[in-house]
Amino acid sequence: MVGLPYDCLANPLGAVRLTFDKAVASSGSDPTTFNGRDWGATDIFRDFLFDNGGLSQVPILNATNLRWIQPNTLVRFRGMIQDMLGNEFYVGAYKDGATWRTNKFTDVSQFPMDSSADTRIWERRLLYCVPVPGQNSWTESSSEVVLNPYVNWISPTREKRQREDNASTDDVDDVDMQVSDHEIQDSPCTKKMREGGPVSLSSHLEESTTEGTCPSTSMVFDFDRNSFPCLVKVYDSLEADLKLNDVFEFVGVLTFDLEPSVDKADCDEFTSTLCEDELSHSPPSKVPRLHCLVHRKLAVHDFLSSSPIMEPKSNLVKEMRETLLGHLTAVLGNDGVAAHFMLLHLLSRVHARVDTLAVGKLSLNLTGFNKENVSIFGNRLNLAVKNLVPFTYFMPLTVDYLNTASLAPRKDYETSRLVSGVLQLAEGSHMMIDETHLQAGTLNSVGVENARLIKNLMELQKVEYDFKYYKMEMEADVQLLILSEGKSNILPADLVLPFRPLSVESCEIGDAEALKAWRWYLASLKSLPHSIEPDMQKVVEDDLVAARQADRSLGSQDFSRWLTMGRLMSVSFGETSLSLEHWQMVKELERLRRERLQLKIN
Amino acid sequence: MMKDFDFSRDKDLARDFILNFAEGNGEAKYMKILQDVANHKTKAIQIDLEDLLNYKDLDEEFLRRVTENTRRYIGIFAEAIDELMPEPTEAFPDDDHDILMTQRSEDRTENTDGSDPLQRMPPEIKRFYEVYIRASSTGRPFTIREVRASNIGQLVRISGIVTRCSDVKPLMQVAVYTCEECGFEIYQEVTARVFMPLFECPSSRCKTNKTKGNLILQLRASKFLKFQEAKIQELAEHVPKGHIPRTMTIHFRGELTRKVVPGDVAELSGIFLPISYAGFRAMRAGLVADTYLEAMSVSHFKKKYEEYELRGDEEEQIARLSEDGDIYNKLSQSLAPEIFGHEDIKKALLLLLVGAPHRNLKDGMKIRGDLHICLMGDPGVAKSQLLKHIINVAPRGVYTTGKGSSGVGLTAAVQKDPVTNEMVLEGGALVLADMGICAIDEFDKMDELDRTAIHEVMEQQTVSIAKAGITTSLNARTAVLAAANPAWGRYDLRRTPAENINLPPALLSRFDLLWLILDRADMDSDLELARHVVYVHRNKESPALGFTPLEPSVLRAYISTARKLSPYVPKELEEYIASAYSGIRQDEAKSNAPHSYTTVRTLLSILRISAALARLRFSDTIAQSDVDEALRLMQMSKFSLYSEDRQRSGLDAISDIYSILRDEAARSNKMDVSYAHALNWISRKGYSEAQLKECLEEYAALNVWQIHPNTFDIRFIDA
Repeated sequence: MVGLPYDCLANPLGAVRLTFDKAVASSGSDPTTFNGRDWGATDIFRDFLFDNGGLSQVPILNATNLRWIQPNTLVRFRGMIQDMLGNEFYVGAYKDGATWRTNKFTDVSQFPMDSSADTRIWERRLLYCVPVPGQNSWTESSSEVVLNPYVNWISPTREKRQREDNASTDDVDDVDMQVSDHEIQDSPCTKKMREGGPVSLSSHLEESTTEGTCPSTSMVFDFDRNSFPCLVKVYDSLEADLKLNDVFEFVGVLTFDLEPSVDKADCDEFTSTLCEDELSHSPPSKVPRLHCLVHRKLAVHDFLSSSPIMEPKSNLVKEMRETLLGHLTAVLGNDGVAAHFMLLHLLSRVHARVDTLAVGKLSLNLTGFNKENVSIFGNRLNLAVKNLVPFTYFMPLTVDYLNTASLAPRKDYETSRLVSGVLQLAEGSHMMIDETHLQAGTLNSVGVENARLIKNLMELQKVEYDFKYYKMEMEADVQLLILSEGKSNILPADLVLPFRPLSVESCEIGDAEALKAWRWYLASLKSLPHSIEPDMQKVVEDDLVAARQADRSLGSQDFSRWLTMGRLMSVSFGETSLSLEHWQMVKELERLRRERLQLKIN
Repeated sequence: MMKDFDFSRDKDLARDFILNFAEGNGEAKYMKILQDVANHKTKAIQIDLEDLLNYKDLDEEFLRRVTENTRRYIGIFAEAIDELMPEPTEAFPDDDHDILMTQRSEDRTENTDGSDPLQRMPPEIKRFYEVYIRASSTGRPFTIREVRASNIGQLVRISGIVTRCSDVKPLMQVAVYTCEECGFEIYQEVTARVFMPLFECPSSRCKTNKTKGNLILQLRASKFLKFQEAKIQELAEHVPKGHIPRTMTIHFRGELTRKVVPGDVAELSGIFLPISYAGFRAMRAGLVADTYLEAMSVSHFKKKYEEYELRGDEEEQIARLSEDGDIYNKLSQSLAPEIFGHEDIKKALLLLLVGAPHRNLKDGMKIRGDLHICLMGDPGVAKSQLLKHIINVAPRGVYTTGKGSSGVGLTAAVQKDPVTNEMVLEGGALVLADMGICAIDEFDKMDELDRTAIHEVMEQQTVSIAKAGITTSLNARTAVLAAANPAWGRYDLRRTPAENINLPPALLSRFDLLWLILDRADMDSDLELARHVVYVHRNKESPALGFTPLEPSVLRAYISTARKLSPYVPKELEEYIASAYSGIRQDEAKSNAPHSYTTVRTLLSILRISAALARLRFSDTIAQSDVDEALRLMQMSKFSLYSEDRQRSGLDAISDIYSILRDEAARSNKMDVSYAHALNWISRKGYSEAQLKECLEEYAALNVWQIHPNTFDIRFIDA
């Protein structure tokens, strides 16, 4: 396609209309057959975006640039599907005089529509997307906003502020976040945001005014960096393609309606006795709409700034493994064994589900922390993990927290929305739970429920979403790391390891290049395939039986864990099948771990 | 005007159908309803699509038109009914509406001004009935997700759970005005939720006189309908993985209001329609259409076995299964197929699902038919999984733990309603599971209070309450499936079983079967376990089962069919059961440390298990084989507890089998024992067929008996 008559970037709807007219002309002027399928519009965009490298020119929508970007242009939005609002029926095609027009990919019709005109009703899916929970700041540097050529106006003060923000976040934010996470219960604002999202916008408004950061324009896009929702309207996609909690990049037409939401009262009184019009709770002036043309699922790789393309088997991988292990050892106060387990833990992911079993998970419980050293090592570990994994969450476990936090997402039938909870996390998130602050106390029913939820997440990698009349289990894939004094009985992890720091010397965070390499290492090796050859299988089976003969307390869980460790060990070297050497390493690690546990008891 | 012609022809079709449709007994179904309507006995006229389908002069095109343009056809049917409405045959007191109507018709004759269309009475206002068209109930209803844009305007049937309900409010159907000037009644039909009232009298008299008569809305004369809005949500099992349940708005009108409350699982048929907006909103929302379902019929889901309705091909499938001789094994294997082994336990659980009939004796005594089973064992032997699976299969089941956190607990509680301050009775898990199965995990950690109450539940099947001025007893006809850990967390082989089982004998005796599941050390099972784990990790799936388990829905259907039977004990079997029972009692008396408490309850258990087995065979009578299997299961359950004893007693299996057979032969004073008979006896004591064969060979070599080479029948050699 050379010389497109329309600019896909600035006037995507023009391109849509062009293809529509073409398609109508060729199909004999009846658009009925276009229901639920594409007539060639997305092909043009696919061409433009992927084959002609247009993707990098498309600005990524965020709270700041939303003010600049003109409506009806092409934008990108990266986020997690937090809620699904069902289907919307719209007038897909209508007859304007003798010609057919389409309303696909837009909210308002381009041409006047006669109410008595011949219309076709089509449907589109509404997805409520939010930025990925716990997304670390380094992921954004890669997706740094490409300066949009279609900028409406630029407020110099705005931009300056934005720069300051960026500058400060890089250095301070990591520390900041940690603190704020600790304080989450104390700050009603952050909490409300977490729970209510857009519903509590009014309170945000007040706050931002008092802070003096309110923009001078009358249109207030009042978004927090962490709560910047977007309503994505998806066309003609298979239902199975887009799942809850998936992280996607949507490329589509941005629309927002500047009309204030006047008819709220109107709707209350007349049209609905159960006023829960989804859209009235997130009016377009608060939540931008994106009419999705092309969407693709994002992997961790897409969040890395520049992916060095490397053969996973090369020596480089081994080198990276060594340096990363060295880094982790330093972070963990020269505890080499813990660093090994930590590495395996960071590489783990759920790669299969068999019956109720989530194969591949490896949650780690480091014991032996107390209030003093948790402030050193806990913070250090948290920082290290934040720098390596794109999505992280830190949970300070206290009785009070358990009793008050809303961990599980819950359906609110008043607003007909899924209210997010802490445990609504994207695939591959890392969660660190600090149990050292847990005191003896009484759990109320919420607390019991919350404890059960975390336990379920740990054992089954599933979270129960509360739909009031029933609960629905949603699959999750979260790496869980628990810091505790003794073995955590509330949260039984796969691996329990007494932590033995040798020194408290501070360690370096690692330079930017090394961090990049490590991120790439973790992201790439995590998804490597793995197999066990038949002769190796025999060895493993015999080892398992022998182990169980020697120790009756070993069960299928322990076996499963060993095999997972075997997998992760070989994967960490970039190998795709289990070798005897790596299996021996796993057994050795396991022996060291047991030794520590034994020592602990005696 | 071709279309209009079509409709008038369809009206004739509708008329013809209502007039002539006859049920199986030859009675004109709809004319009978119409007569009831005329006599003010009922208001709703429900037209079944199924009847249209069965109607002799069925026109398929007509049927299609009705389902695809249902709203229009309701009007057509109503018009047809207007014409057919018979005179009332019974006297009834006139209500306001009737008085108004008579007055109106008198008015009409006085000052006829028929030329004015607005003054013509709309047919709606005369109707004192409501017409509904109900979708055919065969086939699977849609899930909310499956209702698409192409279904707009059509009659659809969906299932879901009601999440919200509004209050019932009046909805104006015909607005009636009177004109201040001319005094005419003006009618305005309202079809949407919102309407624009008339202000100027449109009658020809006012118009010609140019008086602009003021119109006054007459609320008493207008016609209102009851109206309720509700939200229905997809059922959890219909939601694809990784998706959020969808919701749909439902409008209930007239007689269909107040049929559902939040939490109900219901099946609805109705017309899927776009909401027509008026005014400002219409301009803004022009492009987007909200939709709702105009309800036509509501039915609640039934969840009891007794009310289970077989769907489609299930009947046939069950018939095919019952022909299969191996149904007992097949069904039991299909319970929790992913849990390896435990065949006998699964058989017992299957029988628990089937149960025996309840018996009400003449003197008012009730004998329970539900089987109670207790699973005891080491942690991590999949007890909880078994429990949960059973609850899944049972149409009505409640899973709870002994430590249940709610204040209501297992039985029932009296609670104060925070709003009204009234005392209300709230049922616990056992009451909720009435006519179903209650699975109680962590049975040993149960509250002392609940434990006392459970005695009553398990035998009398009621929960009695005498609290806060309320004395009552609630039904709790449930089968209890309990899982418990041994007293010290793990089964301690050095201690006696009684010490390990941390439950009072009075409670234990109420269980029909008690199984101990131990995690034993043996090479083979370890290798099996290792292989399984490695297989799962290598292939990312469970190893093949070697058979295809039946779907839970098929299991449910089979069991519900089986539960309809109530088998009895034939006379010739009474003696057999009695002797078996006394045999157990004697065995117990012989041993110096009785482990079991064989009481009359045991006898009842045997009968219950046998009856359940007969039900599985779809038989009305209990056969000897049922009793034998019942005895075998009881023996196996005992052996799971006391197998250590058996080894300690010094008798190996082979010689034990020999002594059983010898005793049996001596008792019946015969020298011959048939192989089948021998197998029965030894399996009752918990031995396998392989062991019997070994025994037969060994002792035949010793010339103790002769074995028939083909039938393996035994003949003792007289010494």
